[in-house]
Amino acid sequence: MRIVVADDSVLFREGIVRLLTEAGHDVVAAVGDADALEAAVAVHRPDLAVIDVRMPPAMTDDGARAALRLRAATPGLPMVLLSQHVETRHSVSLVASGGFGYLLKDRVLRVDDFLDALNRVASGGSALDPEVVGALLAPAGRPDPLAALTEREHDVLALVAEGHTNAGVAARLCLAERTVETHMRSIFQKLRITDDGDRHRRVLAVLAYVTR
Amino acid sequence: MGIGLASRPRAAVPAGVFAVGAGLQVALTARPGQGDPAPVLAVTLAVLAIPVVLGCLVGTRVPDGQVGAALAWVGAAPAAVFAVEMWGETDLTSSPWPGAHAVYLVKLGAWVWNLAGFAALCLVFPSGLLPGPRWRAVAWTVAAAGVAVNATVSWTAANLRDGPAETPAVLTAFGVLLAALGASVLSLVVRYRRGTRTTRTQLRWLILGAGSVPVLLACGWAAQTWWDAGDTVAYTGFLLAMLVAVPAAVVVAVLRHDLFDVDRLLGSSLAWLLTSLASAAVFACVGYAAGSLLGADARLGVSGAAFVAALALPVLHRHVNDRVGRLVDRERFVLDARVRDFVRDVRDGTAQPETVEAVLRDVLGDPELRLLVRLPDGPPGEYVGLSGEAAVPAEGRTRIPLRTGEIEVGVVVLGAASARRLRRARHAAVQARLPIEVTRLRLELRAALDEVRTSRARLLSASARERRQLERDLHDGAQQQIVAAGMRLRSVQRGLRPGTAEHRDLDAVVETLEATVVELRRLAHGVRPARLDDGLAAALGALVAASPVEVRLSVPGDVRVDEVAATTAYYVVAEAYANALKHADAATVTIRVDDDGGVLRIMVADDGVGGARGALGSVRDRVASAGGGLAVSSPPGGGTLVEVSIPHADRGGR
Repeated sequence: MRIVVADDSVLFREGIVRLLTEAGHDVVAAVGDADALEAAVAVHRPDLAVIDVRMPPAMTDDGARAALRLRAATPGLPMVLLSQHVETRHSVSLVASGGFGYLLKDRVLRVDDFLDALNRVASGGSALDPEVVGALLAPAGRPDPLAALTEREHDVLALVAEGHTNAGVAARLCLAERTVETHMRSIFQKLRITDDGDRHRRVLAVLAYVTR
Repeated sequence: MGIGLASRPRAAVPAGVFAVGAGLQVALTARPGQGDPAPVLAVTLAVLAIPVVLGCLVGTRVPDGQVGAALAWVGAAPAAVFAVEMWGETDLTSSPWPGAHAVYLVKLGAWVWNLAGFAALCLVFPSGLLPGPRWRAVAWTVAAAGVAVNATVSWTAANLRDGPAETPAVLTAFGVLLAALGASVLSLVVRYRRGTRTTRTQLRWLILGAGSVPVLLACGWAAQTWWDAGDTVAYTGFLLAMLVAVPAAVVVAVLRHDLFDVDRLLGSSLAWLLTSLASAAVFACVGYAAGSLLGADARLGVSGAAFVAALALPVLHRHVNDRVGRLVDRERFVLDARVRDFVRDVRDGTAQPETVEAVLRDVLGDPELRLLVRLPDGPPGEYVGLSGEAAVPAEGRTRIPLRTGEIEVGVVVLGAASARRLRRARHAAVQARLPIEVTRLRLELRAALDEVRTSRARLLSASARERRQLERDLHDGAQQQIVAAGMRLRSVQRGLRPGTAEHRDLDAVVETLEATVVELRRLAHGVRPARLDDGLAAALGALVAASPVEVRLSVPGDVRVDEVAATTAYYVVAEAYANALKHADAATVTIRVDDDGGVLRIMVADDGVGGARGALGSVRDRVASAGGGLAVSSPPGGGTLVEVSIPHADRGGR
C-alpha cells in the first residue's frame, strides 16, 4: 500500500522507510514535521500515514495534533501514531473513530506484528499498544468491573482491546476460535456490553467501558 | 540713668557713657594722690568694658529691642558711678574739680545705680521688650526708686542726721527699690512660665550665668572667713561672675542659644554644686562626730571624714544628678524613661523592634525623622528603611551615624536639627540601640531568607527544565537511535535464511535492544514522568492505574499548573501513595487534588495502620523548595493523612 511516514529523526525515518519498502509497501513521502505531513497527505492521498507523536515545531505532541486535524480534513485516512512512551490523551479519542493505531516506537522491531497492525488499521480496524491497553485495563481506583473476569477472559479481553480478531486471539492463546467466542460472550455479559459483531466496535466498546 | 525705655536708646548711649566715665576716671587718677593705682584702674576698666563691648555686639547683631543696651549698661553704669565718686572725692582734696561739692553730694548715694544695668537686663531679657504693657510701670518704679534712694542717702549722709523725717524716707525709698528689683526678677519668672521653648532655653542660659553669682559670692565669703583671704582675692570671682559670666550668658542666649544643650549644662552644674555641698556636709558631720567620740585625734577624724565623703560622693552624685535632671531637664528625663520602657517592651516581646523609628519620632517630636540601616553586603552609603525598602538619606539633613566598632550599621536622619535636638537624638539613639540592632539583624535575616527562597526556586525550575530536557534527550535521542539500529538489523536479517545461526543471533540482539529501550523508558520516567505532558490528571491516573488496592482519585481534568508545581505534586502523590502501599496495609487510598486559586491542594489519605514517622523527608524538601508546605498526620491505627499545598503560577504549562 501507499504510505506517508512522518518522523523528525532521519535515522528512524530511513529505517522505517527501508523496512516498509522491503515489506513491499510504497512509501510515497517521508517527512520531518507536522506541516510537511499535512501537505504530503493532501498531495499523495496515501492508504496509511505513520506518524511520530513528538515532532517539530513544538516538539511536544505535534504529531498527535496533526493526526486530529487530518482526521477532520481527510476522514477515513488510516493512521498509526508512534510514540516513545505511553500516553492516553490522544490515543483513546482517536482510536474511538476506527482506522487508527497507537504503538510504542520499539514495536517496529517486532516486524511481523508491526506490519500486521498496519494492515489491520489500513483496513479500518484498530491497533493499540499492549502497554496502553495494560494501563487502561488495570484497575484504576474505581470499583473494578474487570474483577468479575477470569484470568483467561482477562487475557482474551486484552488482545481484543489491542485490535485482534477472534482468530488472532485464538492463535495467540493457542485456543480454538470457538472457545474465544465463548469467552467473548461471557466477557460482554459480565461487562454488560452488547456485541454487535463489528470487530473494531468490540475494541471501542471495551475501551469505552474501561476508560469511562 | 532710668532705663530710658521711652526714648529707645541703643547701645551707643551706654557705650558713650562708659567712655566718658572711663575718661574721667583716667583723668582723676592722673591727679597726684587720688584714686587707685593705675594698674588697678586698668583692670577695673577692662572688666567693666566687657559687658559694654558684649552689649554693643548684641546691639549690632540684634538691632531690635534693648537687650544690647541693657547689657552695656551693666558695665557703663558702674563706670559712670565710679567716675562720679572720684569726681566728688576731689571735693575733699586741696584742689577740687569744678562742681565737686555738688557731685560729692550725689556720689554719696550713687552706688545704687550700679544695679541699673541688671534691673534693665531682667526686664527686657531675652526679647528686648518688656514682658507686657503693665511692666512699664515697674520699669519707671525702678528708675524712680533709684532716684529716691540716691537722694535720701545723699541727703542723710550729707547732713549726718537720722532725724524723724529722714529715717522713714530712707526706709521707704529702700523698700520701694527692693520691691521694684524684686518685680524685675519676677519678670523673668513670668517670661519663663509664658515662654516658648526658645525663650525658656534663653532664660536657662541666664540662670546658668546668674547662678554663678551667688555661688562665687558664697565661695568668696567662705574664703574670707576661714582662710583670711583678702577682699581682692575673695570677691574677684564674684565680680567676674557679675561682669563676665552673666554678660557672656546673655550674649550666648540672645545670639546662639543653641550653642550647647543648656539644660544639660545647667543640670550638671547644679548637680555638681549640690553634690559638693552635700559631700562637704558629710565631711563636716563625720569629722565633728569623730572628733567628739575619739577625742583629740584630729588626723584620724579628718581621714575618716574624707573616706566617708569619698564613699558617699558617687552615690550622692548619681542621685542628685537624677533628681536635678528630672527637675531641670524634664524633657530628657521623660525621653529616657519612654525609650527605656520601649526597650523593655521589646525585650518582653510586647513591642515590635521595628517600631523603633516611630518611637524615636515620637519622643524627639520629629515626625520627619528617618532611621535607616545598612545591610552587611550592601555597598557603602546604601541604606534601607525598616520595612526593607532601599532608601537614601535626604540631602542637607543632619545625620547621626550608628556604628558597631568601625562599621557603620545605620544612620538616624533628623527632620529638624539644633544642638539640643542633635544631642537628644544622639542620646535616644544610644538608648534605643538594642531595638535598632535587633531590627537591623531581622532585616538582614529577612533579606537573606528571601534570597535563599528565590535562589531555591530558581534552582528548582532550572532542575525541572534540565529533567525535561534529559527526558527528551533519552526519548528522542538514545531511544530513537537504538530503534533505528534495530531496524537496520531487521533489514539485514531479511537477507538471511530463517533458522540459521546468524538469523537467530540477530533475533537475540534485537531483543536485547528492545529490552534496552524499555529500560531507557523506565529511566526517563524516573527523571520526569512523560505522562505529565498529558497533564497532572493523566499522569496521576497512570500512576495509580495498576494499583492492587482501591484508589479514589479525584483530580480536576482541567487543572493546569506550571512544570515545577506539576512535577512536585506528582512526586508527592507518588511517594505518599507508595508509602501507603508499602507500609500502611491500607484497603483504600484516597487522593484528592484541588486548584485553590493559585495554590494546588493535595490530600493523600489511607485507612491503614498509621503511625508513619519521618517519612516523606525528600518530598518535604521538594515541596519546601517549590514554596509549599506539607503536613502529615498519622496516629497509630488511624490511617495516614498527607496534606500538601503548592503555590503555582498558572502559566499554561503542563
